[in-house]
Amino acid sequence: MQMCLTEGPVRISDISSMIAKIGEIFDAGGHSLFLGQVRADMIDNKTVIAIEYTAYEQMVKAEAEKIKATIISEYPDVRSAEIIHSVGVVKAGEISLVIMISAGHRHQAMEACSRTVEMVKERFPVWKKEIFDDSSFQWKQDM
Amino acid sequence: MEIKVLFFGVLAEVTNTSLKHYRDITSFSDLMHRIQDDFPEIIHYNYRISVNNEIINEDPMLNDSDEVACLPPFAGG
Repeated sequence: MQMCLTEGPVRISDISSMIAKIGEIFDAGGHSLFLGQVRADMIDNKTVIAIEYTAYEQMVKAEAEKIKATIISEYPDVRSAEIIHSVGVVKAGEISLVIMISAGHRHQAMEACSRTVEMVKERFPVWKKEIFDDSSFQWKQDM
Repeated sequence: MEIKVLFFGVLAEVTNTSLKHYRDITSFSDLMHRIQDDFPEIIHYNYRISVNNEIINEDPMLNDSDEVACLPPFAGG
């Protein structure tokens, strides 16, 4: 499994490179791609214009290894997995999370991708501060 | 022993720091008391503790140079 944190939004060129590499995975028959995007939520009449992410990088890497072990154990058909997560400021409409799972067959690719998304959201030590259009902010909690 | 303590998310803002070294720590409980003495406001926040990247559920034995982190609820993705 490849895992990396990137400063700012995930670039489309990084996603393209990820997709370009699938041609090297000859034993895969399906690839499932999840793109997480910063949403312009409206809260108390204010609009979210960006999210600032911070991460405990060392622990993110340790958790990525545990997620990899879980995925390999639960979905033996998976051939490769890649995760890119943003740190720093990502504007509304930009991509902050990419997960791509390649597997021998489509069902395991899609199920493993969904499972990985949920584990990333539950287990990655990442925090986000929502920045509003009036320059105020709030810490967002997903759990 | 000396322990490195990291603060993340809202706790970094509340404590106005992301890193503090504590010296002459005798136990985990001693460390927690020292942190709360320095930053009494953190008791109002929900957070978990990790030691060397592992979230703990009960008071651990600490060793010199361990890295302890105060982790508010995660919000990745």
